[in-house]
Amino acid sequence: MTMGHNDAFAIPDGMADAGAPALQEDLYHRIGHLTRTLHDAMRELGYQDSLADARDNLPDARDRLAYIARLTGDAAEKVLNAVDRARTLQDEMSGRAQNLKKRWAAVAVYTAGGERATPAGAALVEETCAFLAGLDGQTDQTNAILTDIMMAQDFHDLTGQVIRKVVALAQTLEEQLVKLLIEATPPEQRKKVAVAVAVTAPSLDGPVVNPEGRSDVVADQAAVDDLLASLGF
Amino acid sequence: MSEPRFLIVDDFSTMRRIVRNLLKEIGFNNAEEAEDGAVALNLLRASKFDFVVSDINMPNMDGFALLNNVRADDNLKGIPFLMVTAEAKKEDIVRAAQSGANGYIVKPFTKATLEEKVQKIMQKNA
Repeated sequence: MTMGHNDAFAIPDGMADAGAPALQEDLYHRIGHLTRTLHDAMRELGYQDSLADARDNLPDARDRLAYIARLTGDAAEKVLNAVDRARTLQDEMSGRAQNLKKRWAAVAVYTAGGERATPAGAALVEETCAFLAGLDGQTDQTNAILTDIMMAQDFHDLTGQVIRKVVALAQTLEEQLVKLLIEATPPEQRKKVAVAVAVTAPSLDGPVVNPEGRSDVVADQAAVDDLLASLGF
Repeated sequence: MSEPRFLIVDDFSTMRRIVRNLLKEIGFNNAEEAEDGAVALNLLRASKFDFVVSDINMPNMDGFALLNNVRADDNLKGIPFLMVTAEAKKEDIVRAAQSGANGYIVKPFTKATLEEKVQKIMQKNA
């Protein structure tokens, strides 16, 4: 492989000789001929109607994706609201349990001699104190579960970014279809075909949907840390 | 020392809320939110923040542009800046490090990861 002036581009071996310009010209000529043949064939076969259908369906596909994004977003917000409410209730219950624990502990001391309580009453005090003491651990566990539920809502961000990317691709495809449609339409009818608005695709990729076998992306946080460490960070 | 004030920057409200709640669980209750880099930069210039947690891929101004603006501003350049993003390409991680980010977390992440990175950055910048 031979590198050009700009290292971001590479010219395959065998094309970097003196005959390359002529070869490229021939290549462009052949691609142009193929494109013209394709356009003519599509026009003769009446495929401009199919193209128009495909183009008309893309906005609908985009709307459906936007609908999915909106509904998943609403669902995630509902879950987060519920988690917040549950956490508030948990905190309230935990606070009241702490308070009751102190008061029952005082009663437990008072009834320890057994003089002022029936055996059943003393056992009830002991059991209540043990229950209230255990409540702290259970509250912590419930809060940890609520955190897990909250963290699971990050799907909205991740899927939302993927949907946004697909919507941008659909827009680009739509634009290309419009161009193809115009070229495949007889000249006298071209004015009837609307020209789509050009769309620039985002330069950032968003979540990696299929990282297997790729060396340009990291698979997890440990790989990020390793990479940063190798750079001295 | 007063409680550190965080700025959470992400275009998805769900993620801003998750990060805010996680910071609260970790022990940091003082946080504001911005939906993109442009809004964040205005907030940073309008009042004092001690820590930025920012996404990368956002409309108007992305996380890289925000980071560059922060590092180029004499009044803001010292603020710890943690990237929390779905961008998993090595070139983005290297770019973030070279642009002056103090840490980089890939989504999805855990509470433990956020806590570790925030604490580590705070200790380094103490």
